[in-house]
Amino acid sequence: MALNRNFYKALENILGPEYVSDDPVITETYANPFRQGLAAPPTFEAITLPDSTEQVQAIVKLCNQNKVQFKASSTGWLYSDPATPNCIKIDLRRMNRILEINEKSMYAVVEPYVIAAQLQAECMKRGLNCNITGAGSNCSALPLAAHVNLGHLSQSGSYGERNQLALEWVTGDGEIVRLGSLGMLDEWFCGDGPGPSLRGVIRGDTTPLGGLGVYTKAAQKLFHWAGPYTFPMEGVSPKYKPAYIPENFLVRYLSFKDLDDMIEAVLKIGESEIATELMCFNPAMMASNLATKNVEEEIEIYNRFTKSVQGPGFMVLIMGNSRGDFEFKKKVLARITEETGGKPLEEVEDPENQGGYIWRYFRETGSIKETGRVLAPQAGMVGGTDSFPLMSYFIKSCARVKEQLIKEGALFDDGTSPFMQSTEHGHLAHGEVLARASLRLKGDKLLEMQRGINKGSNEISIKGHFGMPQHVWGDELHDMYGPHASNYHLWLRKIKKTFDPNGASESSTYISAKDE
Amino acid sequence: MALEDYRYYMETCRRCSVCKFMPLEKVIGYDRINVCPSISRYEFHSYCAGGRMVMGTALLEKRLDYTDKLLEVVYNCNMCGACDTSCKYSMDTEIIESINEIRNHCVDTGHTNPTLDKVISNLRKLGSMVPGAPAKRGEWADGLGLKDCTKEKVDVVFHVGCQTSFNKNMWHLVQTTAKLLQNAGVNFGIAGENETCCGGRAYQMGYRDDLLAQAKKNMGMIKKCGAKTLITGCADGYQAFKVIYDQYALKGDLEVLHVTEYLDRLIKENKLTPAKPVDMVVTYHDPCHLGRMGETYIHWEGREVIDEIRTLDPPKEYRRGTYGVYEPPRDILMSIPGLKIVEMDRIKEYAWCCGSGGGVSESNPEFSMWTAAERIDEAEITGASAIVTACPWCIKNFKEAVSRKGSHLEVYDIIELLDRAI
Repeated sequence: MALNRNFYKALENILGPEYVSDDPVITETYANPFRQGLAAPPTFEAITLPDSTEQVQAIVKLCNQNKVQFKASSTGWLYSDPATPNCIKIDLRRMNRILEINEKSMYAVVEPYVIAAQLQAECMKRGLNCNITGAGSNCSALPLAAHVNLGHLSQSGSYGERNQLALEWVTGDGEIVRLGSLGMLDEWFCGDGPGPSLRGVIRGDTTPLGGLGVYTKAAQKLFHWAGPYTFPMEGVSPKYKPAYIPENFLVRYLSFKDLDDMIEAVLKIGESEIATELMCFNPAMMASNLATKNVEEEIEIYNRFTKSVQGPGFMVLIMGNSRGDFEFKKKVLARITEETGGKPLEEVEDPENQGGYIWRYFRETGSIKETGRVLAPQAGMVGGTDSFPLMSYFIKSCARVKEQLIKEGALFDDGTSPFMQSTEHGHLAHGEVLARASLRLKGDKLLEMQRGINKGSNEISIKGHFGMPQHVWGDELHDMYGPHASNYHLWLRKIKKTFDPNGASESSTYISAKDE
Repeated sequence: MALEDYRYYMETCRRCSVCKFMPLEKVIGYDRINVCPSISRYEFHSYCAGGRMVMGTALLEKRLDYTDKLLEVVYNCNMCGACDTSCKYSMDTEIIESINEIRNHCVDTGHTNPTLDKVISNLRKLGSMVPGAPAKRGEWADGLGLKDCTKEKVDVVFHVGCQTSFNKNMWHLVQTTAKLLQNAGVNFGIAGENETCCGGRAYQMGYRDDLLAQAKKNMGMIKKCGAKTLITGCADGYQAFKVIYDQYALKGDLEVLHVTEYLDRLIKENKLTPAKPVDMVVTYHDPCHLGRMGETYIHWEGREVIDEIRTLDPPKEYRRGTYGVYEPPRDILMSIPGLKIVEMDRIKEYAWCCGSGGGVSESNPEFSMWTAAERIDEAEITGASAIVTACPWCIKNFKEAVSRKGSHLEVYDIIELLDRAI
C-alpha cells in the first residue's frame, strides 16, 4: 500500500528529503533477511531518519493525523523489528549522542543510537562501567531500547528497567513526556521524581519493544570500574590477545554434578557478592567465545570442553577493587567451589585465554558468536525474572521440549544444558532454552517447530507456576498469560490505549489496544 | 561464482549492525567507531553490508528491479572491506565477496554505472584506469636507464600502476623507488609503455571479465620475462596481483610484494640503511587493499554439508583481515631516525578508507572526498604534521581533501620519507 503523497511530502518537510525514503531499495533492506524457505517478509512503507526528539514528535503526530503506524528502532536486531502494512520505520540512527556522563552521581544520559561499546569505553576512562545488554555492545546503550537489557554484567550491574533513571518519551500520540527528575528539574538523576514516575508504565511486562511510542533520551545508573582506562588488547581481529591481564581480574568456569549443586554455588556467590559477572554458559557458548577460525574449530573446542565438564556450569568473573579485596574474593570462590563440588575448566585459566575471556565478557563482544554461529540458537524460550532456583527449574523443565524436538530431528543436538544467568547477585535470574533449528527444516515446518517449542514452554510455565517469561510479546501470548497473572493484560491494554489512543505505535511485539 | 552461490551468507545476516562499527574489542571511546563510509555518509541501512546482503537476496528473488536507486546504492560503496573484517570477528561469512558479486551480477546483466562504463571503455582501449591522462605510461622512466622487462630477463618486475604512471605529480615516487632498488642492487625491470593495468579497480567496480583479461595479459608478460617476483607501490595493484589473480588461479607461483614489504626486507638485510634524521611526527594510513584486503587468498575446495547445521568438508579457513600488510610500512617508518609515528583511532584491519576505491572516486567524487576528509580530520587530531601512506590512490585523494579543507597536514608516500633518510 503506497503512502499518500501529501503524507510523504510532510515527512520530507519534517526531515528534509535526504532523510526519508519510500524507495523499494531502501525499504526492502529493512526487512528480515532470514529465509530458510520462509516467504519474504513485508516491508515498511517508508524509512525516516530523525535526528532530534522534535523531529520524532513531528513524525509521530503526522502518523496519528494520517492513520499511519510507525515503528522505531535503534541498532535493530532483526527479530524484534517486524514490518506491517501501512507502517513506517523510524530509524533512530542519527540520534547518537552521549549527552552527559555524571561521574559524581554515577549516571549517563544517552540517545538511542549510542552503542554500548561507546558508552562503556567513555565510562572506563572515568572509572565507571555500564550494564550492557546480553545481545552485545553493538546494541543500543539506552536501557529500554534493548529488550530487558539483561547482560553479562547484570550480576553486579543489574539491568535496564532497574538502572533506568530519568527518561524522555514521545508517546504514541506524539506528546513529549519527561519522566522522573527531568519532569521538574531538567536533571537526569532520578527516574521516580520529583517529576512524574511512570517507570512501570513505560516498562510494561518486558519492555514494549517500540510498541508504546519512542524513547528518545534516557539516563541510567553507572557502576564502579576497577580496571584500566582501556583494556590492553593487542593483535589483529579476530585474534586479539591481552598484552597482560590487568591486576585483580580473573575468570573461571566451574561445572557441577547436578543443577542443585550449581544453584547452591550461584546462591553462595551471590550472597557473598564476590562476582562481577556470573553467566551459566554451557560448553558450547564457552567454545564459541574462544574459537576464531571457523565453526569446525568451535565444534572441536566444544567437544573438548564437553569432556572436561561434569554437568551444568557457569562462568564467573571477579574484579577486585584492591589486591586485598581480590585475594578475599578468590578465597571465597575457592571455598564455595570446594563446598559445592565445582570443577574448573582448566583451559579457561590459561593466561591468554583468560585475558581474552575477561575482556570479551566485559565488552560483550562474543554474543554474536554465541547466538549466531552453529552451536548457538536461532530460536528459543526466554525465561522470566524470578529467583535463581525457580528460573533454573523452569528452564530445565523447558529443556524437555527441546529434547523432544531433537529426537524428532527438528533441532540440532548441541548436547548442552540450558543457559541461565544470575542477576543482582542471585536475587533474580533469567534463562533461555537455546535451540538451533535444523537446516533441514524449511518454511512451514520451521515455523511449526518454533511454535512447538514456544507452546510447550508456555504450557510448562503456566502449569508449573513459573511466572511470566520475558518473551511474552504480542496479543496471543499476553492473552494466554493474562488470566493466570491477575489479568495484567487488561491493564496493559489500558496503558496502550491511554498513551497511544490511535494505535499508531506499531505493537505486534507489545500489546494492542483491542477491545476485550 | 555466481550471486546464487552467496545466498547462504546473504540469508543468514544477523542484522546485528556490527558491520557498521570497528571490532568492538577495539572501541576506546565515543568518537570514530564507524568503519563503513557508505552508511556513515548515506545513513540508511541499505548502504551498509547488512543492507546489501538483504538487497542481494532480493535481487535473487526478483523482488527488486535494477532501478537507478538500486544502482546508486550498489555503486556508492568504496569496496574497502571494513565491514567484512568486522563481521568476521564473529561470523563465518563472505561479506565483501557477496557485495562484489552483486556488482558483478549487475554488470553481467547490463546494469552499470555510465561513468564507470567510460572508465572501463578506456581500460579496454588503452589499458589504463586514468582516462584522459596527458602523459604516456612509461614516460616517467625516461633517462633513468631502467631495464625493459618485456625485452630482458629480470628477477623482479616493478609494476608501477595506472595512477602513478599517468600522474606527473607522482612520478617522483616511482623514480625514487627505482633509485632505491638500483642502489640496493636489485635486478629489476619495468614494462614501460607495454605495462598495462592490473585490472584490480575494474574488479572492484564489478567488471570481472576485464580483470581476467588484464590478468591474462599481465601474467603472460611476466611469464615471458622469467621474473619470480613482482613489486608494486600501488595497493590496488598489489591486491590484484596477489589476491585476485590467485583467486582465479592466474598468479601461479609469482611472489607479489608491495614495495614497502620489499624495502622493509632490504632494510632488515642491511642493504638499505636509513641514516639521515627526518624530524617529523607522522601518522600512517593503512591502504585498504594493502591491509585487510591484501592478505593472501586461501583456496578452498570441498563440499558443503547441510545437516542440522552447516559445516564444510574440509573446514574452510576464512580471510578475516588478520594477515594484511600492517607492520612493514610501520617498520620502515620506525627505522627512520628522528621520525615518530602517532596512530589514528582507526588503524590496521579497521582503518577508515581514503575514499578512492570501488569506482567511487570516478562515479561520485563528492562521496569520495567526504570519505577522505573524514580521514584527514582523524589524522589532524593525532597532532601529526603529515599523513603517510603507501598507495597513490590514497595519496591523490588525501592531497585533494587537504587542499579543499585547507588542512595543515602534509601528505607523503612512505617512499618519500625513506628517500630523505637514505
